[in-house]
Amino acid sequence: MASRQPPGQAAPHGGWPRIEVQPPSVAFEPGPPRQSAFDVPDTECEGWSTDRFTLRAASVRGDSHRWPRRAKPRQDCVRATVHERTGTLVFAVADGVSGAIHSEYGAREACRAAIETLVEQLVRGGQIDLGAVVRHAVSRLTEYTQWRLGMRPDEAPSIKDVSDLFATTLVTGIVVPMADGGVLVDVCRVGDSGAWVLDRTRAPYDAELYTPLFATKTGAGKRFVSNRVAALPQLPAELERTQVQLNASDTLLVGTDGFGDPLGDGDGEFGALFANQLSHPPAPLWFAHVLDFSRETFDDDRTLLAVWPTHAGEGR
Amino acid sequence: MPDVKGVLLPAYVLADESGSMGPYRRELSDGLLSLCESLRAEPMIAAKLRLAVLGFSDDVQVRLAIADMRTETTVPQVTIRGVTNYGAVFKDLLYRIPADVQWLRGQGYKVHRPVVFFLSDGQPTDGNGWRSAYGTLVDKSQTPAAPNIIACGIGDAKPGTMVEVATSEQFAFVAKPGVNIGAAISEFFAALVSSLVESSQALNSANPTLVVNRPDQFTMAIDEV
Repeated sequence: MASRQPPGQAAPHGGWPRIEVQPPSVAFEPGPPRQSAFDVPDTECEGWSTDRFTLRAASVRGDSHRWPRRAKPRQDCVRATVHERTGTLVFAVADGVSGAIHSEYGAREACRAAIETLVEQLVRGGQIDLGAVVRHAVSRLTEYTQWRLGMRPDEAPSIKDVSDLFATTLVTGIVVPMADGGVLVDVCRVGDSGAWVLDRTRAPYDAELYTPLFATKTGAGKRFVSNRVAALPQLPAELERTQVQLNASDTLLVGTDGFGDPLGDGDGEFGALFANQLSHPPAPLWFAHVLDFSRETFDDDRTLLAVWPTHAGEGR
Repeated sequence: MPDVKGVLLPAYVLADESGSMGPYRRELSDGLLSLCESLRAEPMIAAKLRLAVLGFSDDVQVRLAIADMRTETTVPQVTIRGVTNYGAVFKDLLYRIPADVQWLRGQGYKVHRPVVFFLSDGQPTDGNGWRSAYGTLVDKSQTPAAPNIIACGIGDAKPGTMVEVATSEQFAFVAKPGVNIGAAISEFFAALVSSLVESSQALNSANPTLVVNRPDQFTMAIDEV
Protein backbone atom coordinates (compact mmCIF):
# COMPACT_ATOMS: atom_id res chain seq x y z
CA MET A 1 0.00 0.00 0.00
CA ALA A 2 1.27 3.47 -0.78
CA SER A 3 2.30 5.61 2.17
CA ARG A 4 -0.39 8.01 3.31
CA GLN A 5 0.06 11.72 3.67
CA PRO A 6 -1.99 13.34 6.44
CA PRO A 7 -4.56 15.71 4.95
CA GLY A 8 -3.39 19.29 4.85
CA GLN A 9 0.30 18.47 5.17
CA ALA A 10 2.82 19.03 2.44
CA ALA A 11 2.84 16.28 -0.15
CA PRO A 12 6.16 14.57 -0.86
CA HIS A 13 7.72 15.55 -4.15
CA GLY A 14 7.15 12.80 -6.65
CA GLY A 15 8.40 12.65 -10.19
CA TRP A 16 6.48 15.75 -11.27
CA PRO A 17 6.70 18.45 -8.62
CA ARG A 18 4.32 21.29 -9.39
CA ILE A 19 5.72 24.01 -11.59
CA GLU A 20 6.13 27.05 -9.36
CA VAL A 21 5.47 30.57 -10.50
CA GLN A 22 6.94 32.92 -7.90
CA PRO A 23 5.71 33.28 -5.26
CA PRO A 24 4.32 29.72 -5.08
CA SER A 25 1.35 28.59 -3.01
CA VAL A 26 1.70 26.44 0.10
CA ALA A 27 2.12 22.69 -0.52
CA PHE A 28 -0.46 20.35 0.98
CA GLU A 29 -2.22 17.07 0.32
CA PRO A 30 -5.69 17.74 -1.12
CA GLY A 31 -8.87 16.75 0.66
CA PRO A 32 -11.63 14.75 -1.01
CA PRO A 33 -14.52 16.64 -2.57
CA ARG A 34 -17.96 15.98 -1.08
CA GLN A 35 -19.13 12.39 -1.38
CA SER A 36 -21.67 13.08 -4.13
CA ALA A 37 -18.92 14.42 -6.42
CA PHE A 38 -17.26 11.06 -7.03
CA ASP A 39 -17.54 11.40 -10.80
CA VAL A 40 -15.87 14.80 -10.96
CA PRO A 41 -12.16 13.95 -10.89
CA ASP A 42 -9.54 16.37 -9.64
CA THR A 43 -7.98 16.62 -13.11
CA GLU A 44 -9.08 15.79 -16.64
CA CYS A 45 -7.02 16.04 -19.78
CA GLU A 46 -7.46 15.37 -23.45
CA GLY A 47 -5.30 15.40 -26.55
CA TRP A 48 -5.49 14.40 -30.17
CA SER A 49 -4.82 15.62 -33.68
CA THR A 50 -6.51 15.68 -37.04
CA ASP A 51 -4.73 16.47 -40.30
CA ARG A 52 -5.56 20.19 -39.75
CA PHE A 53 -4.94 20.86 -36.10
CA THR A 54 -3.74 19.50 -32.78
CA LEU A 55 -5.79 19.84 -29.62
CA ARG A 56 -4.80 19.77 -25.98
CA ALA A 57 -7.26 20.43 -23.17
CA ALA A 58 -7.18 20.10 -19.41
CA SER A 59 -9.23 21.06 -16.39
CA VAL A 60 -7.59 21.10 -12.97
CA ARG A 61 -9.08 21.60 -9.48
CA GLY A 62 -7.72 24.74 -7.86
CA ASP A 63 -6.05 24.81 -4.46
CA SER A 64 -9.02 26.59 -2.89
CA HIS A 65 -11.16 23.56 -3.74
CA ARG A 66 -8.44 21.11 -2.72
CA TRP A 67 -7.91 22.65 0.72
CA PRO A 68 -8.99 19.90 3.12
CA ARG A 69 -11.11 22.07 5.42
CA ARG A 70 -13.29 23.24 2.56
CA ALA A 71 -12.67 20.73 -0.21
CA LYS A 72 -15.09 20.87 -3.11
CA PRO A 73 -15.19 19.29 -6.55
CA ARG A 74 -13.69 21.03 -9.53
CA GLN A 75 -16.32 23.39 -10.94
CA ASP A 76 -14.70 23.97 -14.34
CA CYS A 77 -15.29 21.81 -17.38
CA VAL A 78 -13.98 21.45 -20.94
CA ARG A 79 -15.33 19.35 -23.78
CA ALA A 80 -14.36 19.09 -27.44
CA THR A 81 -15.08 16.95 -30.46
CA VAL A 82 -14.66 16.94 -34.23
CA HIS A 83 -17.50 17.09 -36.71
CA GLU A 84 -16.24 14.28 -38.89
CA ARG A 85 -17.61 15.31 -42.28
CA THR A 86 -16.15 18.84 -42.23
CA GLY A 87 -13.24 18.28 -39.86
CA THR A 88 -14.51 21.20 -37.76
CA LEU A 89 -13.42 21.29 -34.12
CA VAL A 90 -16.26 22.00 -31.71
CA PHE A 91 -15.38 23.11 -28.19
CA ALA A 92 -16.86 24.39 -24.95
CA VAL A 93 -15.27 25.63 -21.73
CA ALA A 94 -17.32 26.45 -18.63
CA ASP A 95 -16.66 27.74 -15.13
CA GLY A 96 -19.40 26.89 -12.63
CA VAL A 97 -20.20 29.81 -10.33
CA SER A 98 -18.96 28.82 -6.90
CA GLY A 99 -22.06 30.16 -5.18
CA ALA A 100 -24.28 27.72 -7.08
CA ILE A 101 -25.00 24.50 -5.20
CA HIS A 102 -24.05 22.11 -8.01
CA SER A 103 -22.05 24.33 -10.32
CA GLU A 104 -19.80 21.39 -11.25
CA TYR A 105 -22.79 19.81 -12.98
CA GLY A 106 -23.93 23.16 -14.37
CA ALA A 107 -20.57 23.58 -16.09
CA ARG A 108 -20.63 20.03 -17.44
CA GLU A 109 -24.20 20.23 -18.76
CA ALA A 110 -23.59 23.62 -20.39
CA CYS A 111 -20.56 22.18 -22.21
CA ARG A 112 -22.47 19.08 -23.29
CA ALA A 113 -25.45 21.07 -24.55
CA ALA A 114 -23.21 23.49 -26.45
CA ILE A 115 -21.26 20.71 -28.15
CA GLU A 116 -24.41 18.81 -29.10
CA THR A 117 -26.08 21.90 -30.54
CA LEU A 118 -23.04 22.93 -32.54
CA VAL A 119 -22.66 19.44 -33.98
CA GLU A 120 -26.35 19.42 -34.90
CA GLN A 121 -25.94 22.76 -36.67
CA LEU A 122 -22.90 21.47 -38.56
CA VAL A 123 -24.78 18.35 -39.59
CA ARG A 124 -27.66 20.48 -40.80
CA GLY A 125 -25.36 22.86 -42.68
CA GLY A 126 -25.80 26.61 -43.15
CA GLN A 127 -24.86 29.39 -40.75
CA ILE A 128 -23.68 28.68 -37.24
CA ASP A 129 -26.06 30.27 -34.73
CA LEU A 130 -24.08 30.71 -31.51
CA GLY A 131 -27.01 32.51 -29.89
CA ALA A 132 -29.09 29.36 -30.31
CA VAL A 133 -26.24 27.35 -28.84
CA VAL A 134 -26.24 29.44 -25.68
CA ARG A 135 -30.03 29.39 -25.43
CA HIS A 136 -30.01 25.62 -25.74
CA ALA A 137 -27.49 25.44 -22.90
CA VAL A 138 -29.90 27.46 -20.76
CA SER A 139 -32.73 25.10 -21.72
CA ARG A 140 -30.60 22.16 -20.64
CA LEU A 141 -29.83 23.77 -17.29
CA THR A 142 -33.53 24.51 -16.85
CA GLU A 143 -34.51 20.89 -17.59
CA TYR A 144 -31.82 19.70 -15.22
CA THR A 145 -33.19 21.99 -12.51
CA GLN A 146 -36.70 20.71 -13.13
CA TRP A 147 -35.46 17.16 -12.63
CA ARG A 148 -33.29 18.04 -9.64
CA LEU A 149 -36.16 19.79 -7.85
CA GLY A 150 -38.58 16.98 -8.66
CA MET A 151 -40.93 19.27 -10.58
CA ARG A 152 -43.70 18.05 -12.83
CA PRO A 153 -43.13 18.50 -16.58
CA ASP A 154 -45.61 21.38 -16.62
CA GLU A 155 -43.80 23.20 -13.81
CA ALA A 156 -41.13 25.66 -14.86
CA PRO A 157 -38.29 26.54 -12.50
CA SER A 158 -37.49 30.22 -12.12
CA ILE A 159 -34.25 31.73 -13.40
CA LYS A 160 -33.22 32.01 -9.74
CA ASP A 161 -33.89 28.30 -9.19
CA VAL A 162 -31.63 27.45 -12.12
CA SER A 163 -29.01 29.97 -11.10
CA ASP A 164 -28.93 28.81 -7.47
CA LEU A 165 -28.21 25.25 -8.58
CA PHE A 166 -26.26 25.41 -11.82
CA ALA A 167 -25.00 28.92 -12.70
CA THR A 168 -22.00 28.78 -15.01
CA THR A 169 -19.99 30.78 -17.49
CA LEU A 170 -19.58 29.43 -21.02
CA VAL A 171 -17.17 29.96 -23.90
CA THR A 172 -18.04 27.91 -26.95
CA GLY A 173 -17.40 27.84 -30.64
CA ILE A 174 -15.80 26.13 -33.59
CA VAL A 175 -12.46 25.96 -35.36
CA VAL A 176 -13.08 25.55 -39.08
CA PRO A 177 -10.42 24.28 -41.50
CA MET A 178 -10.75 26.42 -44.64
CA ALA A 179 -10.25 25.24 -48.20
CA ASP A 180 -7.34 27.67 -48.65
CA GLY A 181 -5.41 26.01 -45.83
CA GLY A 182 -6.34 28.62 -43.23
CA VAL A 183 -8.18 28.05 -40.00
CA LEU A 184 -11.13 30.19 -38.83
CA VAL A 185 -12.24 30.49 -35.22
CA ASP A 186 -15.81 31.51 -34.39
CA VAL A 187 -16.36 31.86 -30.65
CA CYS A 188 -18.78 33.41 -28.18
CA ARG A 189 -18.95 33.73 -24.43
CA VAL A 190 -21.18 34.45 -21.47
CA GLY A 191 -19.29 35.48 -18.33
CA ASP A 192 -15.64 36.09 -17.56
CA SER A 193 -13.96 33.06 -19.11
CA GLY A 194 -11.77 34.04 -22.02
CA ALA A 195 -10.01 33.28 -25.28
CA TRP A 196 -6.65 34.39 -26.61
CA VAL A 197 -4.44 33.94 -29.64
CA LEU A 198 -0.85 33.12 -28.72
CA ASP A 199 1.58 34.33 -31.37
CA ARG A 200 4.42 31.86 -30.87
CA THR A 201 6.84 33.94 -32.95
CA ARG A 202 6.81 36.60 -30.21
CA ALA A 203 7.75 34.25 -27.33
CA PRO A 204 8.86 34.44 -24.63
CA TYR A 205 8.31 38.15 -23.83
CA ASP A 206 6.27 40.58 -25.85
CA ALA A 207 3.43 42.97 -25.19
CA GLU A 208 1.49 41.33 -28.01
CA LEU A 209 2.36 37.73 -27.25
CA TYR A 210 -1.25 37.04 -26.27
CA THR A 211 -4.11 38.78 -28.06
CA PRO A 212 -7.31 38.56 -26.02
CA LEU A 213 -10.40 37.83 -28.08
CA PHE A 214 -12.58 39.25 -25.29
CA ALA A 215 -11.99 41.99 -22.69
CA THR A 216 -10.03 40.74 -19.68
CA LYS A 217 -10.61 41.64 -16.02
CA THR A 218 -7.04 41.85 -14.70
CA GLY A 219 -5.14 43.47 -17.54
CA ALA A 220 -3.28 46.77 -17.25
CA GLY A 221 -5.46 49.79 -16.64
CA LYS A 222 -7.97 48.01 -14.44
CA ARG A 223 -7.90 50.06 -11.22
CA PHE A 224 -10.03 47.78 -9.11
CA VAL A 225 -10.74 44.17 -9.86
CA SER A 226 -14.40 43.28 -10.09
CA ASN A 227 -15.70 39.75 -10.15
CA ARG A 228 -19.24 40.70 -11.06
CA VAL A 229 -19.85 38.33 -13.93
CA ALA A 230 -22.75 37.38 -16.07
CA ALA A 231 -23.42 33.67 -15.99
CA LEU A 232 -25.94 31.29 -17.46
CA PRO A 233 -28.89 30.98 -17.11
CA GLN A 234 -28.81 34.79 -17.38
CA LEU A 235 -28.43 35.80 -21.00
CA PRO A 236 -26.72 39.06 -21.93
CA ALA A 237 -28.59 41.63 -23.99
CA GLU A 238 -26.02 41.08 -26.71
CA LEU A 239 -23.90 37.97 -26.98
CA GLU A 240 -20.14 38.58 -27.10
CA ARG A 241 -18.96 36.89 -30.30
CA THR A 242 -15.82 37.17 -32.34
CA GLN A 243 -14.20 35.55 -35.38
CA VAL A 244 -10.48 35.32 -36.03
CA GLN A 245 -8.25 33.60 -38.55
CA LEU A 246 -5.29 31.68 -37.15
CA ASN A 247 -1.86 31.81 -38.74
CA ALA A 248 0.38 28.77 -38.72
CA SER A 249 2.38 30.31 -35.87
CA ASP A 250 -0.72 31.01 -33.77
CA THR A 251 -2.22 28.90 -31.01
CA LEU A 252 -5.82 29.41 -29.97
CA LEU A 253 -6.29 29.35 -26.20
CA VAL A 254 -9.68 29.15 -24.51
CA GLY A 255 -9.70 29.18 -20.74
CA THR A 256 -11.41 30.03 -17.49
CA ASP A 257 -10.32 32.85 -15.21
CA GLY A 258 -8.15 30.41 -13.26
CA PHE A 259 -5.82 30.75 -16.25
CA GLY A 260 -6.83 34.21 -17.44
CA ASP A 261 -6.34 36.03 -14.13
CA PRO A 262 -2.69 35.07 -13.61
CA LEU A 263 -2.03 35.59 -17.33
CA GLY A 264 -3.17 39.22 -17.18
CA ASP A 265 -1.71 40.93 -20.22
CA GLY A 266 0.51 37.92 -20.83
CA ASP A 267 3.76 39.87 -21.00
CA GLY A 268 5.25 38.64 -17.71
CA GLU A 269 6.81 35.45 -16.37
CA PHE A 270 3.52 33.57 -16.37
CA GLY A 271 2.86 34.38 -20.01
CA ALA A 272 6.43 33.41 -20.89
CA LEU A 273 6.06 30.08 -19.07
CA PHE A 274 3.01 29.12 -21.09
CA ALA A 275 4.44 30.46 -24.35
CA ASN A 276 7.49 28.29 -23.75
CA GLN A 277 5.53 25.20 -22.75
CA LEU A 278 3.10 25.59 -25.66
CA SER A 279 5.71 26.28 -28.34
CA HIS A 280 4.78 22.79 -29.54
CA PRO A 281 1.88 20.61 -28.41
CA PRO A 282 3.03 18.86 -25.22
CA ALA A 283 1.84 15.42 -24.13
CA PRO A 284 -1.70 15.76 -22.74
CA LEU A 285 -0.66 14.74 -19.23
CA TRP A 286 2.14 17.31 -19.27
CA PHE A 287 -0.28 19.94 -20.53
CA ALA A 288 -2.45 19.28 -17.45
CA HIS A 289 0.64 19.34 -15.24
CA VAL A 290 1.67 22.76 -16.53
CA LEU A 291 -1.85 24.02 -15.89
CA ASP A 292 -1.51 22.76 -12.30
CA PHE A 293 1.07 25.49 -11.66
CA SER A 294 1.55 26.67 -8.09
CA ARG A 295 1.20 30.39 -7.56
CA GLU A 296 0.25 32.25 -4.41
CA THR A 297 -3.29 33.71 -4.38
CA PHE A 298 -4.20 32.11 -7.73
CA ASP A 299 -6.08 29.14 -6.32
CA ASP A 300 -9.17 28.95 -8.53
CA ASP A 301 -9.92 25.97 -10.79
CA ARG A 302 -8.05 26.22 -14.09
CA THR A 303 -9.19 25.05 -17.49
CA LEU A 304 -7.44 25.56 -20.79
CA LEU A 305 -8.03 24.34 -24.32
CA ALA A 306 -5.31 24.92 -26.91
CA VAL A 307 -5.46 24.44 -30.66
CA TRP A 308 -2.42 24.45 -32.97
CA PRO A 309 -3.32 24.67 -36.66
CA THR A 310 -1.40 22.43 -39.02
CA HIS A 311 -1.37 22.35 -42.77
CA ALA A 312 -2.63 19.24 -44.47
CA GLY A 313 -0.03 16.48 -44.29
CA GLU A 314 2.22 18.41 -41.90
CA GLY A 315 1.38 16.31 -38.84
CA ARG A 316 2.79 16.79 -35.35
CA MET B 1 6.14 44.10 -17.42
CA PRO B 2 6.21 41.94 -14.28
CA ASP B 3 3.27 39.64 -13.61
CA VAL B 4 0.47 40.61 -11.30
CA LYS B 5 1.51 38.93 -8.03
CA GLY B 6 -2.04 38.40 -6.93
CA VAL B 7 -5.34 40.09 -6.24
CA LEU B 8 -5.70 41.25 -2.63
CA LEU B 9 -8.54 42.37 -0.41
CA PRO B 10 -7.36 45.16 1.93
CA ALA B 11 -9.38 44.91 5.16
CA TYR B 12 -9.48 47.44 8.00
CA VAL B 13 -10.79 46.78 11.48
CA LEU B 14 -11.80 50.00 13.28
CA ALA B 15 -12.13 49.27 16.99
CA ASP B 16 -13.73 51.81 19.31
CA GLU B 17 -11.30 52.46 22.19
CA SER B 18 -13.35 55.18 23.90
CA GLY B 19 -13.71 55.17 27.68
CA SER B 20 -17.08 53.44 27.63
CA MET B 21 -15.41 50.36 26.10
CA GLY B 22 -13.29 49.99 29.27
CA PRO B 23 -15.31 47.12 30.76
CA TYR B 24 -14.94 45.19 27.50
CA ARG B 25 -11.23 45.63 26.90
CA ARG B 26 -10.61 41.94 27.46
CA GLU B 27 -13.21 40.91 24.86
CA LEU B 28 -11.71 43.37 22.37
CA SER B 29 -8.22 42.00 22.94
CA ASP B 30 -9.38 38.38 22.79
CA GLY B 31 -11.30 39.10 19.61
CA LEU B 32 -8.25 40.57 17.91
CA LEU B 33 -6.12 37.62 19.05
CA SER B 34 -8.69 35.18 17.70
CA LEU B 35 -8.81 37.09 14.40
CA CYS B 36 -5.03 36.88 14.00
CA GLU B 37 -4.86 33.20 14.95
CA SER B 38 -7.74 32.28 12.66
CA LEU B 39 -6.04 33.89 9.67
CA ARG B 40 -2.69 32.26 10.46
CA ALA B 41 -4.45 28.90 10.41
CA GLU B 42 -5.74 29.64 6.91
CA PRO B 43 -2.64 30.46 4.88
CA MET B 44 -4.36 30.38 1.51
CA ILE B 45 -7.10 32.70 2.72
CA ALA B 46 -4.62 34.98 4.48
CA ALA B 47 -2.50 35.16 1.31
CA LYS B 48 -5.35 37.01 -0.39
CA LEU B 49 -5.91 39.51 2.44
CA ARG B 50 -4.01 42.38 3.93
CA LEU B 51 -5.28 43.35 7.37
CA ALA B 52 -4.97 46.58 9.33
CA VAL B 53 -6.26 47.21 12.86
CA LEU B 54 -6.91 50.78 13.97
CA GLY B 55 -8.05 51.93 17.39
CA PHE B 56 -10.11 55.12 17.51
CA SER B 57 -11.30 57.54 20.15
CA ASP B 58 -10.07 61.17 20.17
CA ASP B 59 -7.86 60.17 17.28
CA VAL B 60 -6.86 57.08 15.35
CA GLN B 61 -3.90 55.01 16.45
CA VAL B 62 -2.42 52.20 14.41
CA ARG B 63 -2.56 48.89 16.27
CA LEU B 64 -1.50 46.91 13.23
CA ALA B 65 -0.31 48.54 10.01
CA ILE B 66 -1.60 46.78 6.93
CA ALA B 67 0.01 43.35 7.11
CA ASP B 68 0.26 39.88 5.65
CA MET B 69 -1.15 37.78 8.48
CA ARG B 70 0.79 34.69 7.45
CA THR B 71 3.98 36.34 8.57
CA GLU B 72 2.81 38.94 11.08
CA THR B 73 3.77 37.79 14.58
CA THR B 74 2.55 40.68 16.73
CA VAL B 75 -0.96 40.79 18.14
CA PRO B 76 -2.60 44.23 18.10
CA GLN B 77 -3.14 45.70 21.56
CA VAL B 78 -5.97 48.13 22.31
CA THR B 79 -5.74 51.10 24.67
CA ILE B 80 -8.93 52.44 26.24
CA ARG B 81 -8.94 56.23 26.12
CA GLY B 82 -10.94 59.38 25.28
CA VAL B 83 -14.20 59.94 23.43
CA THR B 84 -15.82 58.65 20.23
CA ASN B 85 -14.67 60.89 17.43
CA TYR B 86 -16.04 59.46 14.17
CA GLY B 87 -14.53 62.34 12.19
CA ALA B 88 -11.03 61.21 13.19
CA VAL B 89 -11.78 57.79 11.74
CA PHE B 90 -12.91 58.95 8.33
CA LYS B 91 -10.22 61.63 8.00
CA ASP B 92 -7.63 58.95 8.76
CA LEU B 93 -9.06 56.47 6.27
CA LEU B 94 -9.27 59.20 3.65
CA TYR B 95 -5.51 59.29 3.37
CA ARG B 96 -4.64 55.82 4.70
CA ILE B 97 -6.62 53.67 2.29
CA PRO B 98 -5.44 55.31 -0.97
CA ALA B 99 -1.86 55.23 0.33
CA ASP B 100 -2.12 51.53 1.23
CA VAL B 101 -3.71 50.69 -2.11
CA GLN B 102 -0.96 52.57 -3.94
CA TRP B 103 1.67 50.75 -1.89
CA LEU B 104 0.14 47.33 -2.62
CA ARG B 105 0.02 48.17 -6.32
CA GLY B 106 3.64 49.20 -6.12
CA GLN B 107 4.36 45.73 -4.74
CA GLY B 108 2.86 44.25 -7.90
CA TYR B 109 -0.64 43.38 -6.65
CA LYS B 110 -4.06 44.17 -7.99
CA VAL B 111 -6.60 45.07 -5.35
CA HIS B 112 -10.24 44.48 -4.69
CA ARG B 113 -12.21 47.37 -3.28
CA PRO B 114 -11.10 47.73 0.35
CA VAL B 115 -13.44 46.79 3.17
CA VAL B 116 -13.79 48.46 6.58
CA PHE B 117 -15.28 46.73 9.62
CA PHE B 118 -16.36 49.49 12.02
CA LEU B 119 -17.24 48.62 15.63
CA SER B 120 -18.49 51.31 18.03
CA ASP B 121 -20.38 51.40 21.30
CA GLY B 122 -21.40 55.01 21.14
CA GLN B 123 -22.81 57.90 19.20
CA PRO B 124 -20.28 60.25 17.61
CA THR B 125 -19.09 62.82 20.11
CA ASP B 126 -18.20 65.17 17.26
CA GLY B 127 -21.86 65.66 16.26
CA ASN B 128 -22.09 66.06 12.50
CA GLY B 129 -18.39 66.85 12.21
CA TRP B 130 -17.65 63.45 10.66
CA ARG B 131 -19.99 63.75 7.72
CA SER B 132 -17.79 65.79 5.40
CA ALA B 133 -14.80 63.43 5.58
CA TYR B 134 -17.12 60.43 5.39
CA GLY B 135 -18.81 61.79 2.29
CA THR B 136 -15.50 62.27 0.53
CA LEU B 137 -14.26 58.83 1.62
CA VAL B 138 -17.18 56.87 0.19
CA ASP B 139 -17.57 58.97 -3.00
CA LYS B 140 -15.88 56.92 -5.72
CA SER B 141 -15.51 59.96 -7.95
CA GLN B 142 -13.43 61.72 -5.27
CA THR B 143 -11.84 58.63 -3.71
CA PRO B 144 -11.32 55.90 -6.31
CA ALA B 145 -10.33 53.51 -3.52
CA ALA B 146 -13.57 54.24 -1.61
CA PRO B 147 -14.14 51.30 0.73
CA ASN B 148 -17.18 49.20 1.50
CA ILE B 149 -17.98 49.90 5.15
CA ILE B 150 -19.65 47.39 7.47
CA ALA B 151 -20.87 49.11 10.64
CA CYS B 152 -21.67 47.25 13.85
CA GLY B 153 -23.13 49.12 16.80
CA ILE B 154 -23.22 47.98 20.41
CA GLY B 155 -24.24 49.72 23.63
CA ASP B 156 -25.35 53.28 22.95
CA ALA B 157 -24.72 53.22 19.19
CA LYS B 158 -28.02 53.89 17.44
CA PRO B 159 -29.29 51.92 14.44
CA GLY B 160 -29.75 55.09 12.40
CA THR B 161 -26.13 56.03 12.91
CA MET B 162 -24.91 52.59 11.82
CA VAL B 163 -27.07 52.83 8.71
CA GLU B 164 -25.46 56.19 7.94
CA VAL B 165 -21.94 54.84 8.44
CA ALA B 166 -22.42 51.63 6.47
CA THR B 167 -22.17 51.90 2.69
CA SER B 168 -25.16 49.60 2.24
CA GLU B 169 -28.19 48.95 4.42
CA GLN B 170 -27.25 45.28 4.34
CA PHE B 171 -23.92 46.20 5.95
CA ALA B 172 -25.39 47.86 9.10
CA PHE B 173 -25.94 45.86 12.28
CA VAL B 174 -26.75 46.58 15.93
CA ALA B 175 -26.58 44.30 18.93
CA LYS B 176 -29.95 43.06 20.08
CA PRO B 177 -31.40 45.01 23.04
CA GLY B 178 -30.27 43.63 26.38
CA VAL B 179 -27.53 41.45 24.93
CA ASN B 180 -24.29 41.13 26.86
CA ILE B 181 -21.94 43.60 25.20
CA GLY B 182 -18.86 41.50 25.81
CA ALA B 183 -20.52 38.56 24.08
CA ALA B 184 -21.57 40.83 21.22
CA ILE B 185 -17.97 41.94 20.73
CA SER B 186 -16.88 38.30 20.55
CA GLU B 187 -19.59 37.63 17.99
CA PHE B 188 -18.46 40.64 15.97
CA PHE B 189 -15.00 39.13 15.60
CA ALA B 190 -16.37 35.66 14.81
CA ALA B 191 -18.50 37.15 12.02
CA LEU B 192 -15.54 39.24 10.87
CA VAL B 193 -13.40 36.12 10.45
CA SER B 194 -16.10 34.21 8.58
CA SER B 195 -16.82 37.22 6.35
CA LEU B 196 -13.14 37.57 5.49
CA VAL B 197 -12.75 33.85 4.80
CA GLU B 198 -15.83 33.65 2.61
CA SER B 199 -15.08 36.91 0.82
CA SER B 200 -11.54 35.83 0.16
CA GLN B 201 -12.83 32.66 -1.47
CA ALA B 202 -15.63 34.38 -3.32
CA LEU B 203 -13.66 37.31 -4.67
CA ASN B 204 -11.18 35.12 -6.49
CA SER B 205 -13.83 32.94 -7.99
CA ALA B 206 -16.70 33.71 -10.29
CA ASN B 207 -18.91 34.58 -7.34
CA PRO B 208 -19.70 38.26 -7.48
CA THR B 209 -20.03 39.79 -4.04
CA LEU B 210 -18.35 40.71 -0.83
CA VAL B 211 -19.69 38.28 1.76
CA VAL B 212 -20.85 39.94 4.98
CA ASN B 213 -22.10 37.64 7.71
CA ARG B 214 -24.37 39.10 10.38
CA PRO B 215 -22.88 38.52 13.81
CA ASP B 216 -24.94 36.40 16.17
CA GLN B 217 -26.60 38.58 18.81
CA PHE B 218 -26.91 41.34 16.20
CA THR B 219 -29.81 42.39 14.02
CA MET B 220 -29.73 44.35 10.82
CA ALA B 221 -29.88 48.03 11.76
CA ILE B 222 -33.10 49.66 10.60
CA ASP B 223 -33.17 53.42 10.50
CA GLU B 224 -36.12 55.16 12.11
CA VAL B 225 -37.97 57.72 10.03
